[in-house]
Amino acid sequence: MKVSRTMNSNTKRIVVTVAVVMILLPLGYSLVSGAFLGTSDSSQPFLERPDPKYQKCVRNTEYMRFHHMDLLKQIREEFVRHGNRDETGFDSCRGCHTSRERFCNQCHNSVSLNLDCFGCHYYPEPTFETANLRKRGSR
Amino acid sequence: MEVQFAKIEGKSGPFYLATGLLAGLGLAGVYATYLMHEHGIYLSGMTNRVPWGLQIAMAIFYIGLSAGSLVVSGLYGIFGKAEYKPFARIAAYLAMLFLIAGLLSILTDQGRIDRVFVEPFTHFNASSMFSINPSLYSGHIMICVIYLWALFKEKGKLTKIASLTVCLWAIGTHTGTGAIFAFVPRELYSSPLLPPSFVAAALSSGAALMILVIVTLFRATRRKIDDDLIIWMGRRLLAVFLLCALYVMLIENVHRVYLMASREAGLFFLFGGFHSVLFWGGLIFFGSIVPALLLFIKRTGTSIPWIVFASGLVVFGVLCERFLIVVPGLIHPPDLFPGMEITRSVIEEGIVQYSISFLELLQALGVFGIIGFAFLVGLRVFPLAPKEARAEL
Amino acid sequence: MNRRKFLKKGGMVLSGTVCADGLLLLTSCNPSETTKENRLSRHKWGMVIDLNKCKPECTACMEACRQENNVAFHGDKRWDIHWIRKVGIQERHSENAGEKMIPMLCNHCENPPCAQVCPVQATYKRDDGIVIVDHHRCIGCRYCMIACPYNARFFNYKDDPDWPNKSYPKRSHGVAESCHFCAHLLDQGKRPACVDTCEKIGVKAIYFGDLKDPNSEVSQLIADTPLKRIRADLGTEPKVYYKGL
Repeated sequence: MKVSRTMNSNTKRIVVTVAVVMILLPLGYSLVSGAFLGTSDSSQPFLERPDPKYQKCVRNTEYMRFHHMDLLKQIREEFVRHGNRDETGFDSCRGCHTSRERFCNQCHNSVSLNLDCFGCHYYPEPTFETANLRKRGSR
Repeated sequence: MEVQFAKIEGKSGPFYLATGLLAGLGLAGVYATYLMHEHGIYLSGMTNRVPWGLQIAMAIFYIGLSAGSLVVSGLYGIFGKAEYKPFARIAAYLAMLFLIAGLLSILTDQGRIDRVFVEPFTHFNASSMFSINPSLYSGHIMICVIYLWALFKEKGKLTKIASLTVCLWAIGTHTGTGAIFAFVPRELYSSPLLPPSFVAAALSSGAALMILVIVTLFRATRRKIDDDLIIWMGRRLLAVFLLCALYVMLIENVHRVYLMASREAGLFFLFGGFHSVLFWGGLIFFGSIVPALLLFIKRTGTSIPWIVFASGLVVFGVLCERFLIVVPGLIHPPDLFPGMEITRSVIEEGIVQYSISFLELLQALGVFGIIGFAFLVGLRVFPLAPKEARAEL
Repeated sequence: MNRRKFLKKGGMVLSGTVCADGLLLLTSCNPSETTKENRLSRHKWGMVIDLNKCKPECTACMEACRQENNVAFHGDKRWDIHWIRKVGIQERHSENAGEKMIPMLCNHCENPPCAQVCPVQATYKRDDGIVIVDHHRCIGCRYCMIACPYNARFFNYKDDPDWPNKSYPKRSHGVAESCHFCAHLLDQGKRPACVDTCEKIGVKAIYFGDLKDPNSEVSQLIADTPLKRIRADLGTEPKVYYKGL
């Protein structure tokens, strides 16, 4: 005996609505949580200020905000494939931005962009001494 | 009489069971791949001495199967044998799916899957067969799509051109796949006969699989098919391909054993390990001799169940052969110091073992599941299957 | 809109997206060239290993290499990586022949099969002759390991938590690697770790130098003494020579 398996239009409407709601739910939640549940801090990631010892970065803030990955890639290609080291990579960043957690991860965690670098490249967290030294401004 | 194509009903219990099972296998394979990507490929059976294993063997197996399907399709497209028009669409669709399966198998085998979608395209290496081949496969898939479209739209001239192009391109693809192994300085790999041997085995396995698929499809959906068509495909097409494959394999192995430089490696391949059992039992006896006899002897060669059995044996034999292309060449060590014996080392310098791990098997089954699912769903969504297949029109 | 039209439209949208993406990828193709002066091509690094001096049971070069380059070790012969290793060989048809321990490493061939087959040019020959892997680009296909006739290439099947030398990166699982003549030390004007250590312990069996400089140790050894290379008949033109093989 063959039973009709086609859905009637009402069922179809319900299924489509549920599917659309489920797809849009994560997007809606993040929009809502940003507007209502967040304070001013969580609306923008807080990047720790660099070490006061150094005057300026290798590029200006605006450039770094949008193109730091291009700069790192450029430095990497020049050094790894051609052996030219005019600018250093993570080593020089680390001189001023001593904490990966309070600098890199701030933006990368908030936009959920996975960082592949530190499985291979060493970027330690600052020790207790260095952190306190910086806070007291003795550098 | 015009050949008419239709979708299959696709509403029976066995159909849902089959698609469900295949989808489940596919998901399991995806999970296994995720685990390996997350924790490392040590979860498979591969080691520093055997860096390629089941996945690559399955990849070249699938690529090989796509050739045979296209040849059956080409019977109508190129040679205009109208009695094979009923099978043309299924053959083209299957060929496309097999190529995707091959690419999927290679993809799941990479150490950094996240990079595979960008790097090979932006930094193409024209001297690397691993660079050239995916381009050949992708191009092949595109031509298959055009060919399928021409078949659906019943565009006679375009069908002919597309069919010819796809068959020629297929020869290029399979030569390239054989070249992945042949163009490398390893004793059991570097042989100029490897690409032709690959093409021959591809044709025989593909034709055999087409016979299996067609007979299964027609029986399962209770469509009529004239036995003569299958008998011709078995006795004339498959048998010839089988003999060609046997011939090239014979020359390759005799040459290797004859020359003193490669004799030790050749004898290891033929008699030196478990793979030898796969060779003599799986490939030669059950994969080539028994099917050839079954097809040539009139009583069995004109009986559909026997032809189906022979086809199954051929597919199994070629699967063994693909494994034999990849693994023995890696198990056998390169001759670093001719005339000397290696006494000890911190790595495995001599003959090593390779065994498939469960996750690796799951990955391979996963690819099979995805492709099988796509095939069954395709049969239901597109009018691929002919209503009936007659020998005289 | 019926199912057929939907599938057709969907297919067109999908193929259009794929083409657009492909176009974007292809136009971002940039050949790896530099406009700066090529200081690398001033040298061509080579190595000579004196087997008469090399002590059979000594593994100092292996340990130094592992410590310097963070080479993975798991205690399992299947996945352990040894950029330099010692292989014992013995004459096959001789009763009295003794065992000789040969340090083997990447030969940095002039015609490297590994670089020939790398699908993304992650393994390549630098202008100073060193065959090196760009671990940012490697997709882990392991074709280079298939192509190397010397068993000198390895794959990171597993992560090793140890990080002995924090001033040099280590590799996570999924990429292939092999000895690169400590290119990072060469850039600082130093010598490879194995060479330094062998000299430090007083054995000095490994010589390293510039093949382009006729006055370097290696050039003079190659010119004066009978040296052999492993499987030179393969045509790979290795740059690691052996004295007393």
